[in-house]
Amino acid sequence: MSSSPWLEVCQEGCRLALGAGANEAEAFACDVDEVTVTLEKHDLQIARASRSSTIGLRVVVDRRMGFVSTNSLDELRSAASDAVAVAKATPADPHSRLAEPCALKPPGGLLDPEASTFSARDAVRVAARILEVAEAVDRRVIVGDASVSAVRTTRALVTTRGAAAEETTTLFSHHVLVTAKDGERVSSMDFQSGAARRARDVDVEPTVRQACVNALDSLASERGETFRGLVILSPSAALDLLLVPILFQVNGRNALRGLTRWRASLGSAVASSAISLSDDGTIPGGIASASFDREGVPHAPLCLIDRGRLAAILHNVYSAAASGAVSTGHASGSASSPPLIGPTNLTLASGRSSLDEIIADTPHGLFVARFSGNVDPVSGDFSGVAKAARSIRNGVRAEPVAGTLVAGNVFEALRAVVDTSRESQQIFGISVPYVRVDDVSVTAG
Amino acid sequence: MEQLLADLAARSPEWLEARYQERRSLALSVRQGHVEQCAVGCTRGVGLRALAQGSFGFASTTDLSESALQRTAVVARELAGAAAATRRGPAVRLAPLAPLQGAFPVPTNDPLSAHPLEEKLAWVRRLDEAVRAASPAMVSSSVTYSETEEDRILATSGGTLVHVLDARPSLRVLAVAGRGGEQTMGHATVGVSGGWAELVAAREPGALVEEAVRIAIDQLSAPHAQGGSATVVLDPELVGTLCHEAIGHTVEADIVLGGAITAGKLGTRVASDLVTMCDAGLPPGAPHVVGRLPVDDEGVAAQRTVLIERGFLKSYLHNRETAERYGVAPTGNARAFLFSDEPIIRMTNTYIERGDTPLESVFAGVTDGYYLRGFAMGGQADSSAEFMFGVREAFRIVRGKLAGRVRGVTISGNAFDVLQSIDAVAEDFAWEYGAGMCGKGQPAKVDAGGPHIRCRITLGGRQS
Repeated sequence: MSSSPWLEVCQEGCRLALGAGANEAEAFACDVDEVTVTLEKHDLQIARASRSSTIGLRVVVDRRMGFVSTNSLDELRSAASDAVAVAKATPADPHSRLAEPCALKPPGGLLDPEASTFSARDAVRVAARILEVAEAVDRRVIVGDASVSAVRTTRALVTTRGAAAEETTTLFSHHVLVTAKDGERVSSMDFQSGAARRARDVDVEPTVRQACVNALDSLASERGETFRGLVILSPSAALDLLLVPILFQVNGRNALRGLTRWRASLGSAVASSAISLSDDGTIPGGIASASFDREGVPHAPLCLIDRGRLAAILHNVYSAAASGAVSTGHASGSASSPPLIGPTNLTLASGRSSLDEIIADTPHGLFVARFSGNVDPVSGDFSGVAKAARSIRNGVRAEPVAGTLVAGNVFEALRAVVDTSRESQQIFGISVPYVRVDDVSVTAG
Repeated sequence: MEQLLADLAARSPEWLEARYQERRSLALSVRQGHVEQCAVGCTRGVGLRALAQGSFGFASTTDLSESALQRTAVVARELAGAAAATRRGPAVRLAPLAPLQGAFPVPTNDPLSAHPLEEKLAWVRRLDEAVRAASPAMVSSSVTYSETEEDRILATSGGTLVHVLDARPSLRVLAVAGRGGEQTMGHATVGVSGGWAELVAAREPGALVEEAVRIAIDQLSAPHAQGGSATVVLDPELVGTLCHEAIGHTVEADIVLGGAITAGKLGTRVASDLVTMCDAGLPPGAPHVVGRLPVDDEGVAAQRTVLIERGFLKSYLHNRETAERYGVAPTGNARAFLFSDEPIIRMTNTYIERGDTPLESVFAGVTDGYYLRGFAMGGQADSSAEFMFGVREAFRIVRGKLAGRVRGVTISGNAFDVLQSIDAVAEDFAWEYGAGMCGKGQPAKVDAGGPHIRCRITLGGRQS
């Protein structure tokens, strides 16, 4: 087999697990090399570098599953025997199994060949650029917290069923958290982030500008009004308010736990026909793309909601076996924990009208840039504060409002989606348009 | 390891802080009789923070050999130099600190390691069974037990050498009730610093099951609250949440310097004169609080910091860097989650001190309002002290008496406005003893609490 050191470590882990009494074993290694520069107090705070390697060993003994992780490769032998001991302490489960070996096709564009030339000094320079952009927008803006990081990750997976896969990727990400201050007035904070696979694609300017504009906007805000009606959600607000609960509902593990209302709704209408959602971990250069999932299963394009109808549920090997389905390649998680279930690159389909056209078509409503709130994924009840919000009257953005609460039920809100905008925003591999929802409770703060 | 780190720090040409950390974890999760997770983990390594040319640099390694540590220290110093080239403000300086030495053990005679995995798993399975057996309305159950044991050694070039041991077990019970296509969730948690006996004593596990089940079932038939401003009584858990999330973060000195609303407000009135609020690593009479921190990750011993005294802002929370900048002593709030994290300013155990109003009188003063109990999942707060929290349980109060449950309640507003509106502080007191974590870039175990209080607040609810 390959001479890759991480594949060899994984092979050794599997061999030791079999020697300790396992019937089957999976070894997943994750090696992360990271440089991060942090800004605090509107100044550069610290530059740091870390290299961490973790291996997770999952074993099956008589249909009993055990898991142990360690970042000390010297202790692989004891980790293997511990994993077997953990498995023996658990009850047998007929669905405990590992993935079958699969043919893999790398998406491409996930590794920056010039990443090794990106140094801590480059990260410092990008961090300094964040401050420059913020100050150029407005001197009242304070960058309270920000970071720039460059990460090179190698993932390797070997199973005793014959799977052996390895992939190295790079990710350059940044975030900013800003407030604006004018005399005694302090704005709401605003958070924005960005990510790219290649160093040359790092561009902090739009991220920082958006955060500054939102924070400044909330400086002059006034008390809003109470009504029940139309709300336009920004991509960020739509992600938190609508997409996160959808992901809870389409998670095969949650369905098995009896937590989801949609567990028997495949093929049924669960949302307005304006909602179509797909997942694709094979997009070249995608932020959440990879050749294989946490269990070695390849990703594949998957339609989750097709014009309002539930089309698919995300599965890993366990949830698929327990549900009589097949894995969709959505095992997620690090080497420090057993596989969970999670999405890859999501796309909420965009619509035909621009944001400006949607606003012009809204006689009375509220624009919400950020949803600071609580969504109960089981009951669907949500309630929270509309941040950087603006009243909409007679099709025009009116005054900024503060402390306004929005509330309702997600399942009802999804059916009350009027439309989505033509333009979308990328938020860490998730493409989200603006979303207009009707019949939302709006309460002045 | 102690001597290795002490020698490394002592020989460093620049200021150096060397921290070894080993963290062992166990996570057990059972749902509806099925063991969903049984996972053991261990991480260990050394993090080195250097202060050179007026800036910090940080590097970490899992290679514990002397040569690897020396190489890592060089990297940390080089990173400090790289940062210094672009730093705008004054050079970082550290507040003076007398070197601290000693060992700080886990406060227990019943260590977690004395209880085998099989015993813990059987216990969790019994609790899960109890949830499902509690009512035919139960459609889902889940019980999660987790524990971490930590071993930290800190050596600095200032002569500090401390060895801190810690253990934190916690338990979370989740119950989901269903009727007619509708589902509602209830949960209850407990967590301590200590061993097995302290966890079980902090809250009877059967009571956790009963609470989660009761909340889930009662929510099914509860109407939604009407949104708007209201007089409310907050229970100790929500008071703790308000202290930590909405007030506490705004008095962390790094946040203050980053533009928080509390900047320049020391000595000014920010709350009702009934309010005295503190943060303490070792709060008196509470040896097992989740945020227990006898010595922080810069080697500063725990202390009680009065943040608000009878309504006036008295202090911020500091690390050695911000303490020097403000000309005060560090408050023991520098914390790092893993060896690979640098210490940042964090709260420990944050609370409002008890008052002198009998609890019955706190309720009796409400003609038309709400009694709000417990923090639901989800909540956010800004450095402007604007906050939003989900509420786990809410009841109408009519003429001083509880008058029925409502659901889907959130509270929001400006935390200092809420503190100003407090007109009664009860004579009771409770810690939250929760199983959750605070997130500020890194996770951290914290605790919070207080007495019942009466105040004005904005409720999020439905409009007809």
